[in-house]
Amino acid sequence: MATALAVSPTRMELMKLKKQLNLAQRGHDLLKEKMDALVMEFFEIFRKIQESRTKALEQLSTAYRALTNCFALMGTLETVQAARETRRELQIEISSRYLMGISIPAVEFGEIQRNALTRGYGLHMTSSVLDEAAREFERALGLLVELAETEAVAFAIARELEKTKRRVNALEYILIPRLKGALKFIMMRLDEMERENFTRLKRIKAIIEEHR
Amino acid sequence: MSYKTAVIGDMDTATGMSLAGATHTHVHVKRDETLAKLNEFLTSDEIGLILVTHRVAEELGFEFRQMMRTKRLLPLVLRIPDKTGYVPKVDELQETIKRTVGAEIVVKKEGG
Amino acid sequence: MNADRLIKFELARLNAHLPERRISLKEALSLTKPQVPTRDGSVHSFKRKELEILAKLLPEADWEKLQLPIFIALEPKLGRGAAKVSGEVEAKVAAKLLGKEAARELLIYRPEVALLRRNLPTTTQYLFVW
Repeated sequence: MATALAVSPTRMELMKLKKQLNLAQRGHDLLKEKMDALVMEFFEIFRKIQESRTKALEQLSTAYRALTNCFALMGTLETVQAARETRRELQIEISSRYLMGISIPAVEFGEIQRNALTRGYGLHMTSSVLDEAAREFERALGLLVELAETEAVAFAIARELEKTKRRVNALEYILIPRLKGALKFIMMRLDEMERENFTRLKRIKAIIEEHR
Repeated sequence: MSYKTAVIGDMDTATGMSLAGATHTHVHVKRDETLAKLNEFLTSDEIGLILVTHRVAEELGFEFRQMMRTKRLLPLVLRIPDKTGYVPKVDELQETIKRTVGAEIVVKKEGG
Repeated sequence: MNADRLIKFELARLNAHLPERRISLKEALSLTKPQVPTRDGSVHSFKRKELEILAKLLPEADWEKLQLPIFIALEPKLGRGAAKVSGEVEAKVAAKLLGKEAARELLIYRPEVALLRRNLPTTTQYLFVW
């Protein structure tokens, strides 16, 4: 697809093209650095996701088991009732942070772990299985919040990486070859014209000599 | 900014997460009801994270994927297994990696 | 030519995420929401965990000298995969974290960049130089 550019073979065009080529090459080098950095960030976040997922899913299983236990020992209705009475105001802090032009979420949360009193389901309902289920789910929720943030970052990086790759390729395979081609063409033409000029001058000189 | 959490799933998931402090829960029964609830959560300004079980997400099908593609940055949405531990075979992250890095990197359990 | 404008736009975008100004570690530690304003009107937040790591690596006297975020400069002239951390205290803390000798400027290579970024994801930022 590297079609030639239509340019007039003048020295001004030559200078203009040289400047454009310079800019394109600088842009290419920098975007390549950006791409390398994004790939590195991506692998890093990917590694974090693996860890984060394993931990979170394990904890979530534990929590479900504790809940099943609670259903069995305390009764389903009572458990659901207790869940309704729980203070369900968990706040997570989400703000933004930046990574090479991409805005990604930064999530932090305060104390997720609570105790029977602060949970609010009332002392009359307290039973150790309920406490245990609540505690395991609190832990799971904490890990899941972390996982959600990590996954959001991974997808954002992947998107930006794709965009950057496309730009680098456009520069490397389309624009720069085109500019180089046009540059070569102009230089060849300018050379040719100079040679023609030189030959013409010689001939004129010869004619002048003849007429002396 | 402070945000709350929401959960969409089955009864066990909703109960468990409520015990942990999740503010909004929805137990999935009918598809359009759940889709409406999801939309409500997605457009709420006070919700920062929505947990949806894989089973429900699959049942919601195309519309769910559509909503995920067009949603704003917040709230974050995370799919989780329910008590059966069900996780779909196709891992979106794995697919994204294949597309982005152009190589087949297996999602390992440990190490890496 | 159209391409010129696109390239210049991309280059401008490379550093658009950079903060309008930096703050010292001391100041960051004192804020409930440690963050800096970015050039495009948003904010970039620092995670508290990282501030504590940095505080442990430096004597308290240096806390107001360390400017955050620490810039990891990527300059094609340095060669692909090489980066530079400038600023005396910044270089010092980066060197300490990497287990290297400190200098006024620190020249690091890809695996070291990865290590820095892994430990300090919000308190370091890439800076593109051309």
